[in-house]
Amino acid sequence: MHVLKNKEISHGKLALIFSTPALFVLTVTVLIPIIYAVYLSLFRYKLKRAKKPFVGLQNYEKILTDEKFWDSLTTSLIFAVSVVGIIITVSFFLALLLDQDFPGRGWLRALLLIPWAIPDVVNALLWKWLLHPAFGVMNALFSMGGMIDEYVAWLSSMPSAMIWVVIAYSWKNIPLATLLILAGLQTVSKSLHEAAMVEGASAWQRTLNITLPLLKPTLTVVLIFETIFALKVFDLIYVLTSGGPGRSTSVLGWSIYINTFKKLDFGSGSALAMILGLITLFIAIIFYSFLDRGERQ
Amino acid sequence: MKRNKLKRYILIYLASAVLLTVFIGPFLWLVSSSLQMENQLFRVPPVWFPNPVSLESYREIFMGAIYDESYASTIGKSSSSYQARIYLRSFLNSLIIALSVSFFSVLFGAYAAYPIARMDFKGKYFLLFSILAVRLVPALALAIPIVLFAKKMGMNDSLITLIFINMSFVLPYVIWLLQAYFKTIPSEIEDAGRIDGCSRFQVVNKIIIPLSLPGLVTTGILAFLLSWGEFLFALLITESEGSFTSTVVAAMFATMVGDISYVTIIAAGVLSVIPPVLFALFFQKYIMSGLLSGAVKN
Repeated sequence: MHVLKNKEISHGKLALIFSTPALFVLTVTVLIPIIYAVYLSLFRYKLKRAKKPFVGLQNYEKILTDEKFWDSLTTSLIFAVSVVGIIITVSFFLALLLDQDFPGRGWLRALLLIPWAIPDVVNALLWKWLLHPAFGVMNALFSMGGMIDEYVAWLSSMPSAMIWVVIAYSWKNIPLATLLILAGLQTVSKSLHEAAMVEGASAWQRTLNITLPLLKPTLTVVLIFETIFALKVFDLIYVLTSGGPGRSTSVLGWSIYINTFKKLDFGSGSALAMILGLITLFIAIIFYSFLDRGERQ
Repeated sequence: MKRNKLKRYILIYLASAVLLTVFIGPFLWLVSSSLQMENQLFRVPPVWFPNPVSLESYREIFMGAIYDESYASTIGKSSSSYQARIYLRSFLNSLIIALSVSFFSVLFGAYAAYPIARMDFKGKYFLLFSILAVRLVPALALAIPIVLFAKKMGMNDSLITLIFINMSFVLPYVIWLLQAYFKTIPSEIEDAGRIDGCSRFQVVNKIIIPLSLPGLVTTGILAFLLSWGEFLFALLITESEGSFTSTVVAAMFATMVGDISYVTIIAAGVLSVIPPVLFALFFQKYIMSGLLSGAVKN
């Protein structure tokens, strides 16, 4: 009797003991920093100044009334919406292709992992080279195709800088999204398709009326993750454009970096980071509730 | 009907060719560029295939690392660039970090994942949800306090700090994958062990971990890939050649204008891509199943 009781209490304790190393790491690297960041965001904390007074919500107030913040937010949203739109659309069609049965399909899937495995910084370096104003391959291809008369400095004018940043980001992130959607496709039953084929539905009608609705949960999950990751973009911007030309590719991630580590304003940087975190959370909740509602129907 | 089949194959292979050109082409061009001479690189229109194949760029990186400045005079160049000289060291640093992160994440992650997979306890779902929520936190929000703290404690510019920080975003992923994997092990095997008198701890060490070896290896590889490309914290924490990672040096190459040769920049990029791409191709089946099991269960 005593032994049994002991066992019942021990599950929770055992779980705690087993998870201690992991929880310790996450506490030190995530939990405490978040709390400290919230705390910092309430102070005027500039590294160059000795006095670091408590200012309450003033940092937030300043940010929300600053035009630069709204510019960055708009830039981030434009970037995220374009990137997510492209990634979901292209990945959906690529997944449809890879779902077909044909020799060489395995190779194609394997090779698709290459862009995924390339680090963001190297991806940026790659695109910087492709887009080089004087020796870039893109310039060569476009001028051979007769689309441009003379070589263009793609990354130093708008809107081409934003367009290429979007393309470079999508290029790296489409492969994973494709594989995720492909996994979702394989749960769509073939018998439904066959039945519709007997009824005389075209391939396009079948995709639209059978595949797409059944794929909705998968697509929503991919949508959530891609949106959240796109809002956090930093590495690519750092190497490819440094927020330029002017401030035209200065997304929120870049603004936080500049505010904090170049202007050394840790208080307002933290506040800005908190705002980015809240926006991310807000978007995640909206999407999740949509997913939830969709599943209940 | 046969005609239709032929048409279908032609369409499929045409689409596949476009896919390959778009997604593999840029990467191949990077490799091809790294094997050209500097003057070929600047040819308009571009030289598509290096002829002759030149390893000059790689030699600058390898020799630069070994001979420092003295090497420059032996080949009659003014100097091999600073970045080229420190690149190899940074590559090694990245390896140390990524290997340590994957080892410790899998070790800590396995013990944390076991109770989630096998036991019922209060707060289990809260724990699982918080672990997932960690992935949503923007790294930049964590970066500010971590950098301040590391500087105060004199822990900046250290590989150990970076290993620790990398685990913050690798661990949640590892725990999530491993708990899904542990659930696939039949609990009868475990019960047999418990009847024989094994404690829970022994069950994990002697039954679960040996049986999960394929899952642990897959997870370790994913952890390696995740931490190999980390840039933000490496940029903020490292300050000297002793701790720069390959991504930091690659970014330096790409954003600094100066006497660096383009082939060297590109060769450094290719070298940084080799470990993750090799891993991805060699273990593609495991990686795909790992990535997908993480996603489908979401």
